[in-house]
Amino acid sequence: MNPAQEEILEKLLEKVQKPARYTGGEMNTAVKPIGECDVSFAFCFPDTYDIAMSHLGMKILYHIINKQPWAVCERVCAPWPDMGDAMRREGLPLFSLESRTPIRDFDLVGFTLMYEMSYSNILEMLDLGGIPIYARDRSEDDPLVVAGGPCAFNPEPLAYFIDAYMIGDGEDVMVQLCQTVRECKAARRTREETLRALAGIPGVYVPRFYDVAYNDDGTVRSITPNDPCAPEKVRRCVVTDLEHAEYPETIPVPFTDIVFDRITLEIMRGCTRGCRFCQAGMIYRPVRERSMDRLLEIADNLENSTGYEEISLSSLSSGDYSCLPELIRALMDRYREKRVSVSLPSMRIDNIVKQSLEETSKVKKSGLTLAPEAGTQRLRDVINKGVTEEDLVRAVTDAFDSGWSSVKLYFMLGLPTETDEDLRGIGDLAQKVVGAYFSIPKPRRAPGLRVTCSASVFVPKPFTPFQWVAQDSLETVKEKQEHLREYLRIKGVTFNWHESGLSFLEACISRGDRRIGDVIYTAWKNGCRFDGWNEYFRYDAWLDAFSACGLDPAFYAYRTRPFSETLPWDVIDAGVTKEYLMKEWEKAVRTETTRDCRKGCNGCGLQRWKGACPAYENARGV
Amino acid sequence: MKMLAVFEKGARLRHIGHLDLMRAMQRALRRSSLPIRYSQGFNPHILMSFAAPLSLGAVGLREVMEVSLDGNVTAEEFSRRLSQALPPDIRLLSCRPVEDAHKPPMALLRAARYRIEPRGECSLTLKDLDAFLGKASIPAVKKTKSGEKEIDLKPMIHELMLNDGKIFCTLDLCEERSCKPELLLNCLCSSAGIPAMEARIVRLLLLAEKDGAFLPLEDA
Repeated sequence: MNPAQEEILEKLLEKVQKPARYTGGEMNTAVKPIGECDVSFAFCFPDTYDIAMSHLGMKILYHIINKQPWAVCERVCAPWPDMGDAMRREGLPLFSLESRTPIRDFDLVGFTLMYEMSYSNILEMLDLGGIPIYARDRSEDDPLVVAGGPCAFNPEPLAYFIDAYMIGDGEDVMVQLCQTVRECKAARRTREETLRALAGIPGVYVPRFYDVAYNDDGTVRSITPNDPCAPEKVRRCVVTDLEHAEYPETIPVPFTDIVFDRITLEIMRGCTRGCRFCQAGMIYRPVRERSMDRLLEIADNLENSTGYEEISLSSLSSGDYSCLPELIRALMDRYREKRVSVSLPSMRIDNIVKQSLEETSKVKKSGLTLAPEAGTQRLRDVINKGVTEEDLVRAVTDAFDSGWSSVKLYFMLGLPTETDEDLRGIGDLAQKVVGAYFSIPKPRRAPGLRVTCSASVFVPKPFTPFQWVAQDSLETVKEKQEHLREYLRIKGVTFNWHESGLSFLEACISRGDRRIGDVIYTAWKNGCRFDGWNEYFRYDAWLDAFSACGLDPAFYAYRTRPFSETLPWDVIDAGVTKEYLMKEWEKAVRTETTRDCRKGCNGCGLQRWKGACPAYENARGV
Repeated sequence: MKMLAVFEKGARLRHIGHLDLMRAMQRALRRSSLPIRYSQGFNPHILMSFAAPLSLGAVGLREVMEVSLDGNVTAEEFSRRLSQALPPDIRLLSCRPVEDAHKPPMALLRAARYRIEPRGECSLTLKDLDAFLGKASIPAVKKTKSGEKEIDLKPMIHELMLNDGKIFCTLDLCEERSCKPELLLNCLCSSAGIPAMEARIVRLLLLAEKDGAFLPLEDA
């Protein structure tokens, strides 16, 4: 940023909300001069600073890129609309937090895709950065625009805008990608040649090297490579040795409040449970644990370099970590003097041992969050959420007995095969939780019972056994929400529900094909951004965008796909095979559960890749 | 013992609020592995305090804080360890150990010296300043938590001068009475009959009073 731009920025910061989002200069942020590095990477998070800085993936990749002596990574967040508008008005280009370099001056501009409804922000950020939005319009001087993250498993909706995708675990492929760009840059390769080189890296998908053909009914006929550099299928990257994988030794410490202002300790990756609605449970397989020693080492590094007061254990299913109570005890012993508290999010109900509840309560009693997901055993079996009512009641009874008084319960509305019986079941379950509280003698329980039931609208996701199903229509969802509100009129229970229009669009985009790109572009042109924020979500503008592009959102959200249909994401090999997902769907319909794969291999597909699934290979003595 | 420390809150951190700055300092103290003291009770916090909050948007060149410590730590060691733990835009400038009984800086604070840097052209003249200071009283409306209050700025202004388009002033800053530099600038502009100016505020120095004279707070 030149001095004139600094001047403009200073002026803008006097006027906008939360200017501290844009100031940078936090502890442990990169101070490498961009000019002295071979490759520069602008890590863009398509949401506000407060959300971005809570995201673990960004911290890991930020650390990994900056660890390369020849590379530098700086952070960029989506400016809130007041700032975005002011920047556009004043001609201030989107800049990085560290050195305030305009993003178009970086070699690579990378987006992390956490949520479909942040896609309009990606276009907004490219535009604010002065980078042509459509990849086809970019010239030799423009940065390469890359992306990764869970939503990249269906790369098609953003295929027009992203030059190259990294699919799967980013630790290794990110370095390979930067290294390849470094070599291409040194050899003065053209943009096209560089993209060819990138397409040759395992796990990288370059949309321009694939042609999509459609059937007359609008479904995808085929996705085929149009260049020898492009593989038929792009195989997702798996970090097989998480123990020795890079993990940050330092992380930025924001000045302002962010959503998760603490150390995040990723204790394991992947989940063995196989819940059928859960995309993360499918695409992060297999489960890989870090050892206690390694975790304590990471915790020490981060505690010493950040001064944080809280460490939070993170994974898809922390209760499944093989030595959870030991780990919690070790962390608490280690940091008692330094007053560091330990918290455990995303607990499954069935293995919350009373012991670990007591361990965490010694430091702080934060709210307990449990996710039964469905109201009846039948429906929990359909979704393979291997949790029983007894588990739940036992867990909350233990929690109430240990001094908790606030419990959050997460449910999903609109799951396949759901009936009114299942909705009533949610009410019954909430009632039983209230009962569990009152079963504890008054002097023993903490006052002020608060049971919060949240019901989100089910969105079918790619690479899950439910990827073929139709989403409930908006009318049905509204009706169900009304019923549920009746069933949850219980003293001490609050009911939260979600904007159903948002879930409908999320369903359209998450299983969308390449043509959805034009819809996203049109919606953004119509002023859509920050769609995930109630105050900015404009449902009608999105519907207008669909009709302007001649596409029917119902085709994407409400249509049951036959198994035989080519799915837009078939170009990606996520590890879990289509055959396995079909089998799981059929079992779901039959209300049959599938065992936790730690109890024996279910043949999900990962066993095809040598070394990918240690549990499978150990069991076979390979 | 306690350590009395002087630090700079740099221009980049202008928009970082008081509570956020306090937290950043507490985390720096935790990183420093200095023998900091914690309060008793259910939610222990680090025993430290700032002399005075800096308003949002202002830069502080010589801010003062005190930190309670267990055991003896030399000024050199404190300075070395804390400096390493601070983010680049917070700089530790000096420190000195004091007894536990030493009055906290907040209690000793009496006034502060500021530099007011108007954005764009500064149309104020020395004449305007003289006319302003020549008044018998300078009534102003101060916004407080409980509403608006009519006050007289005149006795709160200890120094007011103009140099190179920048205004330098020393204003009361203590519990009993205080005048914000923004308020002074507004009154000055309206007295001079010119439109209100936007300005960047730099707090240069915090002051205590001894035998009728000001001295830097950290020396009191």
